Amino acid sequence: MAVSWVAIAIIVILILFVLYVISARNRIIRYDNEIDNSWSQIDVQLKRRADLIPNLVETVKGYAAHEKGVLEGVTKARAALMGASTPAEANAADNMLTQALGKLFAVAEAYPDLKANTNFLQLQDELTHTENKVSFSRQHYNDIVLRYNNAVTTFPGTLFASSLGKSRKAMLEIPPADREVPNVRF
Amino acid sequence: MPEKLTFEDQIARNKRQTVVVAAFMLVLLFGVVFAVGYILGTPPYFTLILALIVSSIYIGITWASATSTVLLASQARPVNPSVREEKLLAYRVEEMALSAGLPIPRVYIQDSRDINAFATGLTPDKAIICVTRGALEQLDQEELEGVIAHEMSHIANYDVRLATVTVGVVGAIAMIAEIGLRMLWFGGGRRGGGRDRGGAHPLLIVVAIAGLILAPILSRLTYLFLSRRREYLADATGAKLTRNPEGLAQALEKIKGDLPDDPKGSRTVAGLYIANPWKRVEAASVFATHPPIDERIRRLREM
Repeated sequence: MAVSWVAIAIIVILILFVLYVISARNRIIRYDNEIDNSWSQIDVQLKRRADLIPNLVETVKGYAAHEKGVLEGVTKARAALMGASTPAEANAADNMLTQALGKLFAVAEAYPDLKANTNFLQLQDELTHTENKVSFSRQHYNDIVLRYNNAVTTFPGTLFASSLGKSRKAMLEIPPADREVPNVRF
Repeated sequence: MPEKLTFEDQIARNKRQTVVVAAFMLVLLFGVVFAVGYILGTPPYFTLILALIVSSIYIGITWASATSTVLLASQARPVNPSVREEKLLAYRVEEMALSAGLPIPRVYIQDSRDINAFATGLTPDKAIICVTRGALEQLDQEELEGVIAHEMSHIANYDVRLATVTVGVVGAIAMIAEIGLRMLWFGGGRRGGGRDRGGAHPLLIVVAIAGLILAPILSRLTYLFLSRRREYLADATGAKLTRNPEGLAQALEKIKGDLPDDPKGSRTVAGLYIANPWKRVEAASVFATHPPIDERIRRLREM
């Protein structure tokens, strides 16, 4: 009798262990999918942001055409963003664009007519909004990458991470100044 | 006692406390059920079934009416995107939803001069965030972002659901204790009813009756304790969402200085607001729905 109880206990423990391992394996796959989904959301925001730029540049030109350097900086950063093919590249280009836009909005302060233009105001709201969305999506992306990295580098994830073809992923670089930008104009 | 905790620490600590408190609530509920059974000498399955019916009715009612009554009582209306302030509010809500990885809640405005906000909806995909006109007029975008992050955290942490169920359990405990005491009063007890099976100790009967009298008060206090814990948790989760605890801290400073002179809504859901709409500067009290505002600010500034 005693032997059979031990056998049952061992079987139950084995089943629980197998379930635990399966759920850990599924978690890695789920996090991986979440990362893809999160990145595609960032991508949507980046595209939206790039789409808003030409309109903004046109509007600013109408009031401050001679601010060529600043306008070119924005256009160049936008081109880099459009040409980016990897998340890291897009991320770097977007940081560049954020800086260029920061300069543009700072310059706009000197043009009361431009600041009063409803179109400009609306574009500024939209751009701040997409900028915030990018930075918060990035933050969320990094949160999931952290969970994913923990899952693939700790037991029991390490057992099958390589057989699933999953390894550590890089987080997106978030520049420290990024957080301040949305608050500059309020 | 000042302690320095990151938002991750505070979130973990609050979650542990919630589990303990929720377990205590269940112990109270079952304690009341067994006290009633003991006093009346009814069979355990009878008392248990009675308790289950009463609890499900209570929780069912609070559950079914949760979102609609809150919205109705607050007299809120959806945002109007053609007004710039309201459009920016909707933008900030959308951003916080992205940060939390949640669906975008519907955004409502409550026509009150006070600075306040609340969240409702039992699941994240049915969530609503409502902000007062006073908050829109007096808070800057950074502060507004902090307030919305706090409300988004209530949604992410399922606080509306937790509050709804807890209010239901508190009601059920009061109801069952009431039924037990009344039946005892009208001679339904095992001694009075002549159904004495000889198992009851007089002292234990007294303890059980005292328990029935105290349990409703105790459960109410437990609910309020839980409500205060969840406020701290929402502050900490909010700081995690914005990575900027100072925004909410500043908003709370403004709320502290703003006398609540225009409260609208239902008093029973005061716990869902960012600060109690009826009572503003609260001392540390076991009867308060929210922790003292100064302590909330202090904890935020320490993160």
